[in-house]
Amino acid sequence: MFFHITLERNMQLHPRYFGPHLRDKLVSKLMKDVEGTCSGRHGFVVAITGVEDIGKGLIREGTGFVTFPVKYQCVVFRPFKGEILEAVVTMVNKMGFFAEAGPVQIFVSNHLIPDDMEFQSGDVPNYTTSDGSVKIQKDSEVRLKIIGTRVDATEIFCIGTIKDDFLGVTNDPGVAP
Amino acid sequence: MNRRGGDPSPSPAQTAVYNIDSWNRLVRLAARAFYDDITLKGDNAPKAGRGDNRGMAVVVLDALTRRQWVREEDLAKSLKLHSKQLRRTLRFFEEEKLVTRDHRKESAKGAKMFSAAVAATGEGQRTGKEGEEKVKLHTHSYCCLDYAQIYDVVRYRMHRMKKKLKDELDSRNTIQEYICPNCARRYSAFDALQLVSFTDEYFHCENCNGELVAESDKLAAEEMGEGDDNARRRRREKLKDMLQKMEEQLKPLVVQLGRVKDFSIPEFGSLQAWEARASASARANGDANANDPSKSSQGQGYGGTPMPFLGETKVEVALSGIEAKEENAESENKSAGLKVLPPWMVKQGMNLTKEQRGVVKHELNADQVSQSDEKKPKVEVEDEKSVQAR
Ligand SMILES: [Zn+2]
Repeated sequence: MFFHITLERNMQLHPRYFGPHLRDKLVSKLMKDVEGTCSGRHGFVVAITGVEDIGKGLIREGTGFVTFPVKYQCVVFRPFKGEILEAVVTMVNKMGFFAEAGPVQIFVSNHLIPDDMEFQSGDVPNYTTSDGSVKIQKDSEVRLKIIGTRVDATEIFCIGTIKDDFLGVTNDPGVAP
Repeated sequence: MNRRGGDPSPSPAQTAVYNIDSWNRLVRLAARAFYDDITLKGDNAPKAGRGDNRGMAVVVLDALTRRQWVREEDLAKSLKLHSKQLRRTLRFFEEEKLVTRDHRKESAKGAKMFSAAVAATGEGQRTGKEGEEKVKLHTHSYCCLDYAQIYDVVRYRMHRMKKKLKDELDSRNTIQEYICPNCARRYSAFDALQLVSFTDEYFHCENCNGELVAESDKLAAEEMGEGDDNARRRRREKLKDMLQKMEEQLKPLVVQLGRVKDFSIPEFGSLQAWEARASASARANGDANANDPSKSSQGQGYGGTPMPFLGETKVEVALSGIEAKEENAESENKSAGLKVLPPWMVKQGMNLTKEQRGVVKHELNADQVSQSDEKKPKVEVEDEKSVQAR
C-alpha cells in the first residue's frame, strides 16, 4: 500500500557546498540518499514530494561537516499481509517462484500454487496446467496475495499465494500483446 | 377457511404450486441453521430483564414463508411482536439479504389497494383500517422474502464456511517451512532468497548444503517431530472435526438446495408490480370486489383465490369458492324462484330443471349465472359481471 507521509532526517553537508545553492544541494542530496531505500518501519521510499523544513545547521567538531535536520514529505510503499499485488515473475524453480512488485521481493512456494499446476523443468522452468492453458514462467505477470511479510531494517520480503479466487497469471509472455 | 387469522396454514394455492413448499423449506432450514441464536438488542431495551429474544429471527422468517408482500404492522400484529422489535429483525434480514423491503407514504386509498391485493391472495388479514385512514399520509413499510437472493446467500455462506476451514486445513495461509534432512536445521519461506541454488531447482541447507524438504511432506514432519508439532496436529484434528460436523449438520440444507435448484424461483416482484398483478388476477377470477375496497371484506371470502404471481389461475376455486358463493347466493339471489344447486350437489342422474342446474338463459339473471357456473372460463364470468355492473 502507498502512503504519503512526512519524515525527518539529519543531513550532513561538506563545507564546500556552503553558498547561495546550499538548499538545492541539500535537497538533491536528500533525494539521492533516501529515494529507493527501505526502512522496516515505513517501507520503501518511492519519491520525495517536498521539503517542509530545514532546521539550523550544527557544525560537527573536528570535521567541519554541518548537520541539518530536514523534514520532508514522501511517498512510501509498504506491503501488508492480505494485500493483493501485481508482480512480475523473476525466477521459477521446483520449490516455487519469485516475483517482484517494484522493490518488493515475493516468494510463492509450490504449495501455494494451485494444485492443477505442475512444475516443468527445462530451459525455461515453469508451472503449467495440465491442459497447457495457463503457464507461469520468468517475466509472467501474476496477481498474488501477500500472506506474510518479513520486515528487516533495510529489507522487506514477502510470502505470497496464488491459490485463491482471481489470483494467478494476468498475462501470458508467450503471446504477443 | 375464508378468514385467515394470524398464522394461516399454507393456502391451498400454495400447495397447488408444487415447488413453493420446497423453497419455504429451504428458508426454514436456513433460518434454523444460521439464525437460531441471533439476538437483536434494542438500543433502549426496556425489557432487559426478560432476557434475550433468541429464536425470534426464526419465527419471523417462518412467518414470512407463509406470506408474500406483507405490511410490517400487520405482520407485527399477527406475530404479537412489538413493531419496533419486528422492524429491527427485518432490518437485520434486509442486511443479510434475505428480505426485501419497501417503504412508501400512502393515503387510505393506497392502503386499500394493498388490502385488496392481499385479499386476492387469500393471505391477508383484515385490519379494519379503511375508515380511519381518510386524509393523512402515513409511511408504511412492507417486506417480502427474496427467494432468489436467499438461494445465493445460503450457498455463499456455506461456501465461505467451508473455505475458511479448508484453507486452514490445507495451511493455505501459513508460511511454508523447510527442514534439512541431514542436520535437521529449519528454515522458513522467508529465507527463500538465501536458499536458492543456481545449480539445481531445490533449496539447499546453508549449513551442510543438503537438499531441503518442505515440512508439509508428512514423512519429514514426523521424523523431525517437535513439541510444537503436537499442538499443530491437535489443531488439525479439531479443524477436521469441525469440518466433518459442519458437513453433517448442514446436510439437510445442502439437500434442499439441490432439490430447489431445478425449480423456478418464486418471484414476487416489486411491491407495486405485485399489487397490480394481484388485483388484476383477482378481477380475472371474477372477484369484482378486489378493486372495490368497500366490499373487500367480502372478497376475503375467496380464501382460495390462487396467488397471482405464480401464474396459475384455475386450480383452487372449486375448493373454497363454495363458501363465498353461498354467502353471495343468500344475500343477493333471494329473488330467484328456484334455487340454483351448487355444482357439488349436482350429480349425474338427478332430475333437475334447467334453472336448478344453473344453466340459465342470459336474460334471466346474469349474476346468477356467474355465481353458479364454476366450470365456465373465467374470462366469460368476468364479462358477465361487468355487464351486471353497468
Ligand atoms: Zn543441513
